[in-house]
Amino acid sequence: SSPQLSSVPLQVLLYVNSIYYASYFAATLAMIVYKSQAFSYPDDFLAPDLTLLLLMALVEVLRLHLGSKGNLTEEEAPLGLSLALTVASVILAVYFLMWQTYVLRADVILNALLLLTYGLESVLKVMAIAAF
Amino acid sequence: VAKLCVCDLLVAQCDVNCCCDPDCSADDFSLFTTCSVPVVTGDSRLCSQKAAVYSLDVGADPPERIVELTERVNPSVFCIHAANYKEALFFPSPETPTSENFDQLLKQFGSPAFSAEPDSWNADAEHPSGGNETYRYEYGAPIQTADAFLRLPSPVVSSWCSDANPAAFLVSQATKCTRSVSTEECDSIPALSMLFYTNSSILAVPKSSQMVNITVHSITVQSPKGTRTLLKGSDVFRLPTLVDGLCINVVLGVSYRVTHTDTGEITAAAAAFVLGAIEKEALSIQQSFQITFTQVDTEPVPLSGNPGYVVGLPVRAGFRPQGYPFPAGSTNQHSQLTILQSTASPDCLAARGARTPVLFGYNTISGCKLRVSAEMKCQPLAQTLLDVLKGQSFPEYVASFGNSQGQDVLDWVPITHLHVSEQTMRDFSPLSCLIPVSLEIEVKWTRYGSLVNPQARIVNVTATLTSAALKRVPSGRERMIPVMSSVVFTDVSAPAEPGYKAWPSIGIRLPQDFFFPFL
Repeated sequence: SSPQLSSVPLQVLLYVNSIYYASYFAATLAMIVYKSQAFSYPDDFLAPDLTLLLLMALVEVLRLHLGSKGNLTEEEAPLGLSLALTVASVILAVYFLMWQTYVLRADVILNALLLLTYGLESVLKVMAIAAF
Repeated sequence: VAKLCVCDLLVAQCDVNCCCDPDCSADDFSLFTTCSVPVVTGDSRLCSQKAAVYSLDVGADPPERIVELTERVNPSVFCIHAANYKEALFFPSPETPTSENFDQLLKQFGSPAFSAEPDSWNADAEHPSGGNETYRYEYGAPIQTADAFLRLPSPVVSSWCSDANPAAFLVSQATKCTRSVSTEECDSIPALSMLFYTNSSILAVPKSSQMVNITVHSITVQSPKGTRTLLKGSDVFRLPTLVDGLCINVVLGVSYRVTHTDTGEITAAAAAFVLGAIEKEALSIQQSFQITFTQVDTEPVPLSGNPGYVVGLPVRAGFRPQGYPFPAGSTNQHSQLTILQSTASPDCLAARGARTPVLFGYNTISGCKLRVSAEMKCQPLAQTLLDVLKGQSFPEYVASFGNSQGQDVLDWVPITHLHVSEQTMRDFSPLSCLIPVSLEIEVKWTRYGSLVNPQARIVNVTATLTSAALKRVPSGRERMIPVMSSVVFTDVSAPAEPGYKAWPSIGIRLPQDFFFPFL
């Protein structure tokens, strides 16, 4: 049988990432709702934050799907596209870490973990592309 | 944070127990007992903020103040790590008005109420302009006329008359103000002539075209000495004219009487004028204005309380017209309960007719002396005394509440009459003349209603007429008999009972066929 080139750690990480991101999305949305009640959060500042969160969700779903598909079919193109989308995700995560209207300590923790995951994923993806 | 001090209220002086006050010296600190402001921090929702902690070290002698600058860390996971929205945690400074932004600021803040979202107010302020909307006057709404509002001149700030005060619906007002007349000839000042107050016609309902003219109800002419005479035939308008250095027919007072329906529509308006004469060189005159409101088909009856009697207001009384069953509107003829009034001359007959109304809560006693000579017969004398004591029309019923209406029969209390005769031991002769010498009205009242706002209610009125035997008067001589009448108000309030609400009960009712088919 041909040696298996798909990276198992990458697949595991992608799976964990998807679960983590689902809870991250729910938690960030709940915290935005909390912030709008507890602090003064005018509409001009609330709209961009919510829009970027939704955009990040879309990008994440697409990225994880492409990454998983590329890894399992051992094709480089989807993996490369997923890597490019990771850059966008990193920028969005940095926004939620530093530039959103109110950054709570919980936000810092969640986004730091997410960035860590992205970093690990990128390394594994590069290794997988090199292997294919 | 080290410079902030909430308790530093006195400028350049040391505030007591204020440890952060920079005006305090070490000697002052040694006299403090505690620190009223122990910590001054920034917003506590931030994850880490600077704090200045003030404390007094009472162990040292003398006590000294300790200041520490520390970092306070908020342990909650939802503390604000960073806020990119600058105005989030501070109150915004208001904009300084300049010539550029003045119009915009006026539009935003110029109305009586404004909110953070100014657009939502505009939507509520617009009245729905429906075709079938019926407008009516509400309490306090300005009475509209063809051009503006019905004016009731009143003093504003100073005592000079201002014609810009609108009369409000159902708000009875009485004002006095000073009018300047030195500017022009007195017959060319509009505010001194009757036409000024009657030429505008009132709108029957707001925003309608139905007009109500102000008619002239009566004209009273006041002489320079102050006596007033009512003119008969008050149809003619009397305008101010100059006669011999005097300006006559000048309006000194106007009393508006507005008749309205119970749906807020004005049906009639009448003005009663007081005209007088002023000198040509007069600089100012005082005018008085009054407006009262009456509902159609009712007589304006001054209430003595609503509903309980108010101390100092007259006790309302009346008669019950004969006839059974009661016709509607019984117990009218609003007479008052009156008692004899003591006058300067002590002779009862000289001051006959001087009576004063009985005011609720005021115990009064009055009397006079009757001169009796030998020729006077007994019966007429007794009748005269009865007239003096009771007056011409002594009422039969007294209103239980200050606002009792004539048609509520149960709200009226009948006056009980008692006759007491004083018989002295020396007088056994049955032919001696019994004359009434004193009338004592005892009004029993109680507190009625809630404990917080008790209302005074009359429950019983008793008029006790005391008669005494008239001693024989030697012929040629006269005797003075003192006659007395008094009113006493007695409080017969029962002790207050607390009224508790019933305990709530759980109402459970099973359906009838719950145990079908067993039952």
